[in-house]
Amino acid sequence: MTMSISPTMLRVEATRQIRNPYTLAFTLGMPVAMYLLFGAGMGYGGITAGHGNVKFYIMVSMAAYGAAVAMSSITSLAATEAKQGWGRQLAMTPLSTAGYAATKLVTAVSFAALAVLIVFLAGLLTGAEASDAWRWWASAGIMLGLGMIFGLYGLGVGLFFNSDTAAALASISMTFFAFFGNVFMPLDGVMLDIARFTPLYGYVALSRWPLTDGVLTTGQTDPLWVVVLNVVVWLLVFAALVSLGVKRSRSRR
Amino acid sequence: MSTAPETQTAAKRGAEPDLAVAVEGLHKHFGLSDRAVKAVDGVDLRIRRGEIVALLGPNGAGKTTTLDILMGLTDPSSGSVAVFGDKPGKAARAGVISGVLQTGGLLSDLTVRETVEVIASLHGADALGRVPEVLARTDLEKIARRRIAKCSGGEQQRVKFALALVADPDILVLDEPTAGMDVTARRHFWNVMRADADAGRTIIFATHYLEEAEQFARRTVVMNHGVIVADAPTAQLRANLGGRTIAATLPATGGDALMQQLQETDGIVDLHVDARRVTLRAADSDAAASALLNAGAHDLEIAAPTLETAFTALTED
Repeated sequence: MTMSISPTMLRVEATRQIRNPYTLAFTLGMPVAMYLLFGAGMGYGGITAGHGNVKFYIMVSMAAYGAAVAMSSITSLAATEAKQGWGRQLAMTPLSTAGYAATKLVTAVSFAALAVLIVFLAGLLTGAEASDAWRWWASAGIMLGLGMIFGLYGLGVGLFFNSDTAAALASISMTFFAFFGNVFMPLDGVMLDIARFTPLYGYVALSRWPLTDGVLTTGQTDPLWVVVLNVVVWLLVFAALVSLGVKRSRSRR
Repeated sequence: MSTAPETQTAAKRGAEPDLAVAVEGLHKHFGLSDRAVKAVDGVDLRIRRGEIVALLGPNGAGKTTTLDILMGLTDPSSGSVAVFGDKPGKAARAGVISGVLQTGGLLSDLTVRETVEVIASLHGADALGRVPEVLARTDLEKIARRRIAKCSGGEQQRVKFALALVADPDILVLDEPTAGMDVTARRHFWNVMRADADAGRTIIFATHYLEEAEQFARRTVVMNHGVIVADAPTAQLRANLGGRTIAATLPATGGDALMQQLQETDGIVDLHVDARRVTLRAADSDAAASALLNAGAHDLEIAAPTLETAFTALTED
């Protein structure tokens, strides 16, 4: 049997996300608002940072946050839906689990890309700069590719919690991780030491890599292996969360 | 599994192309060993193409589990199930069997039309083309743009019905399809179903409303505690219970003598008196009625046996 994706289902999924006030607020609205507030609107925005300026640094941070939230909220919704009666409706159609996952993944990546696009456009219009054009593309590519890790996170949360709380929990916990993960504001000292262990740290650091080469706002430099290790460890943690969640939702049936 | 039963199945399929559903030795247990709940405990059932079968039984009788297995949503613990010779899951994916689920959920943020379109699109272009017709038949056109969250229970039930119809299945399974509908909606629902049945669709439905089985199904299967306790034409099931129910008010005098006489008559059962009103069940209702009237009893009522009495008798422990 071929794994087919229904264009109708994709269209309806996209419409649903656009109608969803949480998606609009957290995924599309908040990152660009944060960029305009803390990046474009501040006097320090034009200061040189790495291979570009501070505006570019903040733009990348906010876009990465938006992409991660898009991934986690859409996959958490997918998991709760599949667990409930809708999954039984779909089970009576030719749609395979792989087809369902692919549909949701396409939706999640599309919205993550949309979130990134909006913030990057705002950056382009307000003077975010990098020394080479490829640094824009590299940042966007890294955050969209690695952002799928948070798709796993959302899936795990969705499998563990009930539908009403899961999506909100996924979005709100991402905001929490962003504050403590050196994403929204530059951290220092003990807070920075703690940040290195949080899930968004490695992801955002790698997204900024084309700009910073690992240099932090404090002047310290993160070795590449530290941020890669952060990403790998959290990938494993989220994968374990998903596998536990699958077991849990099966045993309840 | 050895090859012998497979050959047998193939032979059967060849011999009976009209066999829509074949269930043999079906068991479904939930949980482990000692504390396992035997939801279905040995069910054999054969349903031919075009039959309309009511599945009747109290809560926990195993109806929903049996229907879930037929639609490929639950795997049996043991036993064989074939839907036109295929495994239920394969038949469901091919749109051969489809149904209204009791616990099937809808997405509250979709509109009625979107919901039907998504499921239709998964069944293919033909099904997608059928959406306008199905919306019209299920009387959903007027509320096609309404969100599921804003639909009443009865309207949501109609949406689920539309989802089942859009695949144009040969076998339609309905698990308490009219739950949550008001009387008008229920009547409308069954009118639509009747048209479907006349078109030759096989229909299997579980219901709590006995009159739905009586009015609609030519064959009734009664389940209790995971087994089939009766499987017969609905009319026969009623008749087999024997006797009509008679009620009358006893005359002012001679009541005791009359009671004595009735008690001694063969074929009269369930004789009760409550506040001078006598009720009984009689194989020969004419004889019992004339005996009552001759003795001066009045306000006579004679009622045909209902499925309700059959149901109670069959499922009583």
